[in-house]
Amino acid sequence: MQSSHAQSTGGAPAEAARHGGREVVAVFAGLLVLTALELGVIRAPGVARAAVVAALVGLAVAKASFIALFFMHLRYETRILRFTVFGPLAAPAVYALVLMADAAWRLLR
Amino acid sequence: MSVAHAAEHGHHGPVAWPPDAQYGAATPGKIGMWIFLVSDAFSFGGLLIAYGILRSGAAVWRQAGEPALGVGFTAGLTLLLICTSLTNVLGYGAAAQGDRRRAALLLGVTALGGALFLVGQAQEWFGIWGPGLVHEGLVFGRSARASTFYVTTGYHGLHVLVGVGYILTALVQYLRGKVGPAQIELLSLYWCFVDFVWVFVFSFLYLMP
Repeated sequence: MQSSHAQSTGGAPAEAARHGGREVVAVFAGLLVLTALELGVIRAPGVARAAVVAALVGLAVAKASFIALFFMHLRYETRILRFTVFGPLAAPAVYALVLMADAAWRLLR
Repeated sequence: MSVAHAAEHGHHGPVAWPPDAQYGAATPGKIGMWIFLVSDAFSFGGLLIAYGILRSGAAVWRQAGEPALGVGFTAGLTLLLICTSLTNVLGYGAAAQGDRRRAALLLGVTALGGALFLVGQAQEWFGIWGPGLVHEGLVFGRSARASTFYVTTGYHGLHVLVGVGYILTALVQYLRGKVGPAQIELLSLYWCFVDFVWVFVFSFLYLMP
């Protein structure tokens, strides 16, 4: 649609463009560091399995948050749009926690 | 000015949506893309939860004769995907600033990176320049580990394939002047989502002890 392609993207993109490539490259470097940490965690000797799992989940959530906030510009969107995205995205995590609690309860019963 | 309002007044030039009280300057296309991505995230969430349930309920997860997954090789693919996210976002930034040549170059590099990721996945599954997982004994349907692995990584690979097609189509349209930064932003959201999802797939399927 010709009319829509010409329209200004405004808002978040404009704000993101203002921050320029430096912020994007910094986030990219952060993602590389977090990935290296993930690889380090699984090779670290003597770490309890539960701690490794918790670290991997935390690192994955951190990486995904970086991508969503900076690469996908959610940081510069309105609070409502951020909630529209992050609210539903939290649902699978809640389901997973409920299932883990259920599994733990069955084991302990 | 809305499209309808513009049409009413015989205005055929560029139109802009007025800022919305809740969604700011986000276009309807962007909100639509976000809704699609969130719903798509549920399908990946379902696959990963199914994987978790099957794995936690299995007495033995890795069956005898099944190979270990190549973490080093897949870490390389992860790095490649992160690089394509960078070129994709920079490409969109160039498009937003009107630098068409740079935008086209960066989007082309992104598509190439996506295609290389698919080649890497084909190598991992079937083996192109070395043995693949299938030949090493990880066969779909023979174990829950094999099936969840192929379904989840295959579903992600399908997204990469669609993404490469999406980028190339948008790139051609962009070079013809038929789409602009607003559409490139939607493409950028989709491609970053592919990386977003891969973060969890890589962590849960490849790295979890």
